[in-house]
Amino acid sequence: MNTRSLSFRLVAWYAGLLTVVFVVLGALTVLFLLHYLDANLFDIQARRARQIADTLLAAAPRTGEAAVGRQIEVLYSPETNDRLIRITRADGHIVYASGSPKDRSFDPSQVPLPPLTRDGKFNRKESLPNGALLVAAQTYTGSDNSRYVVEVGVSNARTEATLRRVLIMLGIGLPITVCVAVAGGFVLVRRALRPVEQITRKAEDITQHNLSERLPVVQTGDELERLSISINHMIARLEDSFQSSKQFVADASHELRTPLTVLRGELEGLAQDTQLKPQTRETLGSMLEEVDRLAEIVEGLLALSRLDAGEAHSEWVRFDLAELAATTADQMSLLAEDKNITVVCEATSGVNVEGDRARMKQVVVNLLDNAIKYTPNGGRVRLNIKTEDGCAVLDVADDGIGIPQDALPHVFKRFYRVDGSRSRDQGGAGLGLSIVKSICAAHGAQVEVASVPGKGSRFRVRQLLVNNTSVHAHP
Amino acid sequence: MRILLVEDEKKLCELIARALKAERYAVDVALDGQSGWEMADAYGYDLIILDLMLPIVSGTEILQRVRRKNQEVPILILTARDLTEEKVQHFEAGADDYLTKPFAFAELVMRVKALLRRGSISRAAVVRIADLEMDRLSQQVKRSGRKIELTAKEYALLEYLATNPGRVFSRTMIIEHVWDQSFEGLTNIVDVYVRHLRRKIDDPFPTKLIRTVRGVGYGLGESGEA
Repeated sequence: MNTRSLSFRLVAWYAGLLTVVFVVLGALTVLFLLHYLDANLFDIQARRARQIADTLLAAAPRTGEAAVGRQIEVLYSPETNDRLIRITRADGHIVYASGSPKDRSFDPSQVPLPPLTRDGKFNRKESLPNGALLVAAQTYTGSDNSRYVVEVGVSNARTEATLRRVLIMLGIGLPITVCVAVAGGFVLVRRALRPVEQITRKAEDITQHNLSERLPVVQTGDELERLSISINHMIARLEDSFQSSKQFVADASHELRTPLTVLRGELEGLAQDTQLKPQTRETLGSMLEEVDRLAEIVEGLLALSRLDAGEAHSEWVRFDLAELAATTADQMSLLAEDKNITVVCEATSGVNVEGDRARMKQVVVNLLDNAIKYTPNGGRVRLNIKTEDGCAVLDVADDGIGIPQDALPHVFKRFYRVDGSRSRDQGGAGLGLSIVKSICAAHGAQVEVASVPGKGSRFRVRQLLVNNTSVHAHP
Repeated sequence: MRILLVEDEKKLCELIARALKAERYAVDVALDGQSGWEMADAYGYDLIILDLMLPIVSGTEILQRVRRKNQEVPILILTARDLTEEKVQHFEAGADDYLTKPFAFAELVMRVKALLRRGSISRAAVVRIADLEMDRLSQQVKRSGRKIELTAKEYALLEYLATNPGRVFSRTMIIEHVWDQSFEGLTNIVDVYVRHLRRKIDDPFPTKLIRTVRGVGYGLGESGEA
């Protein structure tokens, strides 16, 4: 899993925050609950203590202290209710003390006596061996100035049990909740980000050759929809500017054709005059050569802009690339012989591809011409056509001067020259390889170059094969 | 023979007219579509050379109007646009030939001659230029009675040069006729083949038949307007 991905980071943050919030909330709840339960218990005991003081002790001068104890037994039965009830006189004499509670949650004899000098009511927590005991005390001063302290106590074992249960619930519930929330969050984030995935894939597919295509607009009404719409607007603007630059090249090339025709016509007329001085003839010839080069550049640019416009589909046929390459190599053999270069052609027949035959021939011609041009006299050019992984692979390799590493990415660019002065002598408009690239692009083929300076270069064209079955039947 | 030239580029018009007049054709010039159509309508020309992008009335329109009225006259289209679909479209509309700018004037003159069927392309089985003899049926070449062995491409090149002795052919023309368009831009292929051809045709003999005009191209036989 990619830990830098947006979905992972979102979910991780979300899970972390959720855990922190839950832990804090749980802790606060437990603290509050503890406080509330204690206060509540104290309150109940304190009320009871006041009752005893107000009713039973108030009657004690009439009924006698012993009667108070009996009445407490009858009214409150502290042992059965697991309560401690104790009445102590100010002089330390215990008027009444309840016995051991039924559940043995505390031992009454171990509960220390209250501070007898304090007035009013006060609560305290006594730590006993069996657990804490909450004791609420209430002082009572009778009409005869006799002072008593009434204590009502209860073990807080039940509160602790409740708290323990809450803690267990939190301990189990919290991780489960976080897990469910993380899983849900992950699903939600993935769903929310799925359009991003689509947009990314589509955006990678869009190149200068299919700028008319658009990203899928995700109709979610959210930021992603806005993003995809504005990226689409951007592509539209790109398309416009590409279109107008292509149109400009095409228009300019067309406009140049007529003046070039005139120029050439005038010069040709002059050049054929037999009365000319040799020097004038040379000058005219040189001018005509430059006019030819201009015309060649114009034609190359037009060919490129037409390929960009996708015109190559006009004559789409199935043909044998190996056969095409072999015949082309044969037609160009004299060109190689002239420089004493051996052209080796290795081809297995039946490498069937689909496309514009004339255009693909141009690819072979341009690549071979290039190879022959940059191979020194007596060198070797190898042409190899084979099939590989469902692709037709055409290799043109030479043992010529090679291309420097830093120039490799640029060799298919228009008018690019590795080394201006040297290449210019070899003629050409500097468009041959970009035409190769454009033709390949129009055929869905890839062209790549590898080179070792001083050792030679290899151009490789890789094009999808069409299924061979029907072709074997007609060899 | 009277030719109507409809072309709005004045200089180009003058050049073409001059080249055609040198071939002893009568040439009328129209600089816009309207006058072009009126002239074509008024007079029965032997050939119309038509630019497509014209002011007032387009070349395509003139082509259609002429064809509606007169099926006979050959029409040569001259244009800076060369999309295949456009060519097909105009051939279907009745054009006889199509020439894309920039063209060599020699090419234009050759096409005009071919359209007017005036002996430019020799149909004879044996062609003789000086002491060079070409048998078009057996594809055999002799000079001063000596047989010369040529490869198929060398023969095709020689035969093409021999279609119009004395005229200079541009490299582009030669490539288009002897090879195919894929080789356009590789002008040195022509130079290499001509050099080889020369070695066989000219080197053993005192008079040289293959002529180079720098910047223009190659020709066969004596220069001159014969």
